[in-house]
Amino acid sequence: MRAALRNPVVQFLALGAVTLAAILVGSGVLSSRAASTEAVSDARSTTELLGRSVAQPAIPRGLVDGDAGAVDRLDRSVLTRLLVGDVRRIKIWAGDGRIVYSDRTELIGEQFVLGDDELEILESGGSEADVSDLSKPENRFERGGGGLLEVYTRIESPEGEPLLFEAYYSAADIEARKVEVFRPFRRITLSALAVLVGVATPMLWVLTRRLTRAATERQRLLEAAVEASDAERRRIARDLHDGVVQDLAGTAFSVSALARVEGDPERRAALDRAAGSLRDGLRSLRSLLVEIHPPDLRAEGLRAALVDLTAPAQAAGIHAEVEVEGIEGVSAPTVALVWRVAQEAVRNAIRHAHASTLHVRVGRLGSRVVLEVVDDGVGFQPAETPATTSFGLRGLNGLVADSGGSIVVDSLPGQGTTVRMEVTVR
Amino acid sequence: MNRHRTLAIAVLVGTLAVPVSVAAPASASGGGNATIKRGTCSGSAHWKLKGKPDNGRLEIEGEIDSNHNGQTWSWTMRHNGSVSARGTATTKGPSGSFSVTRRMVDLAGKDTIVFRAKNAGSGEVCRGVVSL
Repeated sequence: MRAALRNPVVQFLALGAVTLAAILVGSGVLSSRAASTEAVSDARSTTELLGRSVAQPAIPRGLVDGDAGAVDRLDRSVLTRLLVGDVRRIKIWAGDGRIVYSDRTELIGEQFVLGDDELEILESGGSEADVSDLSKPENRFERGGGGLLEVYTRIESPEGEPLLFEAYYSAADIEARKVEVFRPFRRITLSALAVLVGVATPMLWVLTRRLTRAATERQRLLEAAVEASDAERRRIARDLHDGVVQDLAGTAFSVSALARVEGDPERRAALDRAAGSLRDGLRSLRSLLVEIHPPDLRAEGLRAALVDLTAPAQAAGIHAEVEVEGIEGVSAPTVALVWRVAQEAVRNAIRHAHASTLHVRVGRLGSRVVLEVVDDGVGFQPAETPATTSFGLRGLNGLVADSGGSIVVDSLPGQGTTVRMEVTVR
Repeated sequence: MNRHRTLAIAVLVGTLAVPVSVAAPASASGGGNATIKRGTCSGSAHWKLKGKPDNGRLEIEGEIDSNHNGQTWSWTMRHNGSVSARGTATTKGPSGSFSVTRRMVDLAGKDTIVFRAKNAGSGEVCRGVVSL
């Protein structure tokens, strides 16, 4: 599962799905608004068309005065042409708020207060759309049937009196119209995104394969280089151990023996100094041997290897402590990785930290091995450190990351440095 | 002379007016929600006027039965005093009648419908009223 999540194609598809959802939601909101505006605009256009082209030419003289015959004639001539499509109700208002005609005949002759918007349309023309307030008495017949959108525009009676032509549309019809307008946009958006994902996925898959191959090759080369380096280190260490170290040990032994049998105190002292110098050299050489190739990189031998690693620190006057616990059963490659990071961190501490104490701690935290190399030295600002000075840790960072781990360097000027590595136990 | 002339005019007016006014007694009957009025015209013809509420409208049917085919009648329907519909019609069929039906708006309060027809040839006049 975790490996699958690391796959760039899976990541792309997951990110693509999230992006797709975000685009759909975002474009959905925007398109919905646009579609809503379009649907209302359609209703306004329909109302203006009905008002000017159907109702106005059919209005007989006398309608405004409430002439019953005029009402009948209008009703017979245009009702079926006005209640078309989504139109649910028609009202024609006189300027004094009287309904001079409606398909709901009970309203004819009733008078209500016109709103400011309606009066403005009556005066200036144009059209307006509003959600109907069904609590108003003129809308009492519309209650219980869902929301309505009322659209009104100005028309004129044959006598030249301005009238308000009002058409009501079901909100559900407007919504349906909105969906009708919106659907093609959504289809286009979805299709475009699907095509994009469809084209990009195989391309990414091919690219990922190439990158994976390259990464695998790089890893192989790195491992080969490390192996070669290890082999070379082993060879050098073996040669030194079997040759120079043995020779020096023998020489130191011989010089010490000579010093013991020498009668002249001055010469004996000189021989003792020579033997001591040889032993110091021998000790340094053994530390170097440990450094270039630790003798035992299994879990059980890690503590001894780390103690050997910090031996130069002791020689440099730094109080070094090594704590190792809870790593039984950890694989040799993981132990080797811990040792390599510790080696680099200890080396940096000895060379740059000017520390007085150095702690190397290895422990276990759940399924992870944790290494901490802590010094109380001068510290530094990690972000400002030139890449070249931390090349060793940077190089190791890749190896650690490949093993599913991480290295964090925590330091500030004057506050020492902590190098912390966590790696999953394998 | 004037007296004879005045008398002649009175007779003529009486001849024309009385049949119209005596179109009544018109009979009224109800068929469901419908109100039906019947009466005789100024001549031998009969009229029938039927009104029925229908979903906020009034369905008005006026009928003239003269027993003569081919007569042309001009007719008018007034709603609360104003002309709602008018036209001409010709009597047909075995009964020599015609009928016209119009829908009117059922306005608030009482609606009075007057159906008037006049024979273009004989001048016979029929007039019926129904209130709903």
